[in-house]
Amino acid sequence: MASDATDVGKWFGDAGSIDRTTGRLFKWGCLGATALALFLMLVFLLYVFNDAFAPLSADPGWLLTFTGTVLLPMLGLGAYYYRRDPAAGRVAYTALGLPIVMGLFAGGVWLLFRHVAPPRMWFGFVVALAIVVALVRAHERIRPNATDERTVLLVGGTILALVGVPGLFPSLRNLVLSAPALPTVTVMFLLTFALPIATLAGWYVRKGRESTRAGTIALAVVLVAAGLGLVIGPVAGVLPATWVIAVSPVVGALVMYVDRVLRQGEGTSGFAFPVVVVAGILAGTAIADLADFAGPETWLNRDFLTGVHSTTAVEAGIYPALVGSVLILIVIVVSAFPVGIAAAVYLEEYAPSGGKLGRFIELIEINIANLAGVPSVVYGVLGLAIFINLLNMGVGTAVVAGFTVGLLILPIVIISTQEAIRSVPDSRRNASYAMGATKWQTVRNVVLPESMAGIFTGTILALGRAIGETAPLLMIGVPAVVRVSPESFFSRTGAMPRQILTWSTQIETDFRYGVLAAGVVTLLVVLLTMNATAIVLRNRYQQSR
Amino acid sequence: MTDDQADGRSGAVSRRNVLAAGGTALALSIAGCANNEGSSDNGSGDEGLGGGGGNGDSDLSGEVIVTGSSTVFPISDQMAQNFMEENPDVNVTVDSTGSGGGFENHFCPGNSDINGASRPIKEEESASCEENGVEPVEFQVAGDALTMAVSPDNDWVDSMTYDQMAQIWQEGGAETWADVNSDWPDEEFELFGPDDTSGTFDWFTENVVGEAGNHRSDYEPTEDDNIIVEGLENNEYSIGYFGFAYYQENQDRVKALAVAESEGDEPVEPSLEAAQAGDYPMARPLFIYPSGNSLSEKEQVYAFTEYYLDNSDESFIGEEIGYVPSNSEQVDENLSTLEEYQ
Repeated sequence: MASDATDVGKWFGDAGSIDRTTGRLFKWGCLGATALALFLMLVFLLYVFNDAFAPLSADPGWLLTFTGTVLLPMLGLGAYYYRRDPAAGRVAYTALGLPIVMGLFAGGVWLLFRHVAPPRMWFGFVVALAIVVALVRAHERIRPNATDERTVLLVGGTILALVGVPGLFPSLRNLVLSAPALPTVTVMFLLTFALPIATLAGWYVRKGRESTRAGTIALAVVLVAAGLGLVIGPVAGVLPATWVIAVSPVVGALVMYVDRVLRQGEGTSGFAFPVVVVAGILAGTAIADLADFAGPETWLNRDFLTGVHSTTAVEAGIYPALVGSVLILIVIVVSAFPVGIAAAVYLEEYAPSGGKLGRFIELIEINIANLAGVPSVVYGVLGLAIFINLLNMGVGTAVVAGFTVGLLILPIVIISTQEAIRSVPDSRRNASYAMGATKWQTVRNVVLPESMAGIFTGTILALGRAIGETAPLLMIGVPAVVRVSPESFFSRTGAMPRQILTWSTQIETDFRYGVLAAGVVTLLVVLLTMNATAIVLRNRYQQSR
Repeated sequence: MTDDQADGRSGAVSRRNVLAAGGTALALSIAGCANNEGSSDNGSGDEGLGGGGGNGDSDLSGEVIVTGSSTVFPISDQMAQNFMEENPDVNVTVDSTGSGGGFENHFCPGNSDINGASRPIKEEESASCEENGVEPVEFQVAGDALTMAVSPDNDWVDSMTYDQMAQIWQEGGAETWADVNSDWPDEEFELFGPDDTSGTFDWFTENVVGEAGNHRSDYEPTEDDNIIVEGLENNEYSIGYFGFAYYQENQDRVKALAVAESEGDEPVEPSLEAAQAGDYPMARPLFIYPSGNSLSEKEQVYAFTEYYLDNSDESFIGEEIGYVPSNSEQVDENLSTLEEYQ
């Protein structure tokens, strides 16, 4: 700090004016950086979307029609909300986005029902659990004070219901399934999938409006919408069970959201937005049909999503890889998140900060921070060495892939959870202690709820990274091409990023531009849905604080 | 958030809740495992969600794992697709790991049934397989016309001899075009070629440069042949080599050179016909190596291999993929070798 002697004791204002040039330059520099980043992302997205949807391959008439019926009304309405009614604008975007996100969620659930938990298995599972819950509830009524007994009943009952005693007593689940008459698959889903969602919606509405009648109506709306599948399904060419799975989460979420907005009475005009969009699409389709305008030859269409890889570009699809990615994600969520969050809670709340152990813990924390930066291919080699060569868990299975990528994001989960926990002010903890709470009660009732928003955000963003990882999958032998969807977590599986990499090296150009772009957009949509969910969960937890 | 009073109360029963939750989670996870075991025999084809499948006319089932050369990958992929149309219960997965990578990481350790290779198996690879009790059975399934190509803007060269190519590609070789032939421009090469893990690299080095490992390292190595095509297209003084299939797909973007084995020979343009007739000097065989144990123990591997060999003379290999199909004697010879493993 070698300042000139003349400067000492002088005030900046002595010069008569303060020079703002550096500050301005800095500001504009930052703005430029932001604009450049956004612009590059936009160019990339436009490029990929153009390849995937090929909008210019459509008739000019088709483009004009949809500009008139969908794009212009959307822009007009959006401008109105922006200038006149921002609250309605928020409602408008949520009301349009919610069904899309829930629809994608329902798609994931459908994949699970089709490949992992067949309807009968799921039915037995839910009914057996429901019986146990009912028993515990009854016990609560009869002997309200025998809590230890109830714990035994709950744990023992659950084990008996789902596993049974091997060789002695079959599980309740199998008993249910061996009943002489079982409902059809559609009714199974109505009872075990739509009904819980409808109950949730009804409970939410009842609580909000403090009216049992309103709650019942909400419940009925969801059930009826799901039940309509029995009638509409066959007509529309959809299996009724598929309809139930697709419709109940969407309608359930919409009922809850509409009820909340109506109750708050602000921005209700926003509901016009999704209606206008849907009506515009329907009108546009009708006009295009009448006038015989050909739509664009998009690469990303229904056949792509439901088809398997083919050596012919036009017929190539992503379905088995999509199923594989969903299975891998489930393994990651089940394996990496509990471990990561528990580790973070220990490190932040329980680990000693001084002494020998404290130094050791510090060493561990430094290592975790460094592990977050290790190249992903290293984790692939680790997975190959440990899970495949040492533990012999099978080459390229969903379990191995999930564990390997789980290891990869574990440090990220730990660090982001630590950050979230650290952001809870100490005053809250001290207040809890002052009330006489124990350490465990403080962590459970104060720290975790308070940091939940941050934990959700961090972990779901980590999931977003996990779903796009390719190098570890290459190392553990996830094959380039799989034409059969994995049947369980222990069978060989494909994965979306691996499949996209395969397409990028195909000889035919159609693969490297059209099919590749469609795959990338599919992956992006899944990723954006997850990020959107993270944002929604974060907002929810911040509001409820 | 609940208020403090409620917190205190819930704190009182919390331990039991946690025990219960833990026990439930345990039971759930056990049930989950049990479910998976159960599901493997009744399959995913439960009624209701369109999970049908698996009602083809054959009773074959199981997995066939194919790894190996990225050059052979397109043939294996097409074969897998055609085979699975007839046998929907057989899951043939095809991976492209490179010839050597496939032998080392997947095939010899016993993790794959068939390995594709764009060169014959090396002695050390055979030995490594033998250590693990894996017996590689060699079948030549197709041929490739390795193509040396230059930029379409290149108007000074149409053909090359082995000797000239060796001068360009050997270690410490020529630096400029004029070094090879004084009529050519005095400009430095831009070199694009396959990675040293690739069978194409091995074949070219051994057969054209003449000595294993004697390949210059100051070139642009890549596992993706499309990058070579792009490199050639964009640099006037570039030269590179790849399988004929990439040339067939990109004929308007690069210019292929005719090749003569020695000075006096008539240079031959690369083409499938020339390779098939044996006129094109840089024609090389492509192989698959099924494991002997898999062939005799797994019915589906035998069936797939039989299908593969039986169809290796089909015209789609030439027309759609860009390789030289086997001739009928080759097919008969392969099939009679295969029969020993039935």
